[in-house]
Amino acid sequence: MPPPIEPGTLDALEDAQLARRIIAAAPSIDEPAEAELCRRLAPRMRLYGLKHLRSAAAAADLVQDVLIMTLQRLRAGNIREPDHLVSFVLGTCRQVIIDQRRAQGRRERILATFAGDVPISEQPTSPPLDLERLQHCLTLLSERERTVVLMSFYDERQAADVGQEVGVSPANVRVIRHRSIERLRRCMEGVDSASGRQE
Amino acid sequence: MTSSACAAPLTVNELTEYWLNECAPDRELAIEEHLLGCRVCSGRLQDIVALADGVKNIVRRGGVGAIVTSTFVGRLKDAGVRVREYRLEPGGSVLCTIAPEDDLNVAYLAAPLEGVSRLDLVLHDPAADRSLRLEDIPFNPAAGGVVVAPEAAGLRRLGNATQRMQLIAVQASGESVLGSYTFIHSPYR
Repeated sequence: MPPPIEPGTLDALEDAQLARRIIAAAPSIDEPAEAELCRRLAPRMRLYGLKHLRSAAAAADLVQDVLIMTLQRLRAGNIREPDHLVSFVLGTCRQVIIDQRRAQGRRERILATFAGDVPISEQPTSPPLDLERLQHCLTLLSERERTVVLMSFYDERQAADVGQEVGVSPANVRVIRHRSIERLRRCMEGVDSASGRQE
Repeated sequence: MTSSACAAPLTVNELTEYWLNECAPDRELAIEEHLLGCRVCSGRLQDIVALADGVKNIVRRGGVGAIVTSTFVGRLKDAGVRVREYRLEPGGSVLCTIAPEDDLNVAYLAAPLEGVSRLDLVLHDPAADRSLRLEDIPFNPAAGGVVVAPEAAGLRRLGNATQRMQLIAVQASGESVLGSYTFIHSPYR
């Protein structure tokens, strides 16, 4: 059995330490440790899913599938090196995406077997973006910067594609893109781009 | 990895290049392994993703004016964005409006751009005797013109109005007007 949990203890643990607690608890279930591990891993897995699947719904499915598999493997003691938990998670994410493409029915089978058994939360990963503020910040960019930002992020276009469309080199697009993101970030934080003062 | 610190944080450039699929496969794999173990860097990537989502949202409803390209407009239309389009030759004019169902308007301004190194766009409102000069706008010399997408909300607020645009080539030897374009706008009826 894992030792009793002091308030705030789990937050201070590393991912691998949480994994060890889950392994040590088997065949019992260390619910607080599992919940904390899921809370940490879910937003990271979601980003991986968004990157590779470009769909919020598909990314949410990936998160659910991989968390279930990860916790099942930990509970069964099948992850021998908890320090390498991230490698296991990454490998599982990659494999699940390959499997999803091979067989659409896999997810339903996994969920039907284990879904009620895993503490998966659907917490938002970050506060919603202030769109009105972003709209204002976009108007403060130069024409060239605004064009590069819109064309890069509207449908995830690489610098080479954007550069070809607007007649500049990919390297130049990257420079403009980086400068624009920095200006937008500062503007979204309320920093006056000209003076560096907080608005 | 601990939850609140990162010994080797990924830069915004690296995260952006990762998000836009610009990294070599080996580098992408290394970044993914780092991100899955790092709250700090995954949080910063989340900020970039949120920015991208915000940009998509604003673009889809014509929330910001911009110089774009015909290819970009094509992708918007493919994604279901309702675009009202006007095409003008140098010296041309057009009766224009924006309908309630339009998400955004675009104007294709044809102009001879071969050999042009810097291009400015001047927006002129004769009624208000007011001009705005957008300097060094992006363009592809081979495109034969530029595509202007004004902010949709601004067009919706506009009453009956005549506005002019001018494309001006700026060279070391001086400036030359490549084309003037007149928009005779009326609210949608």
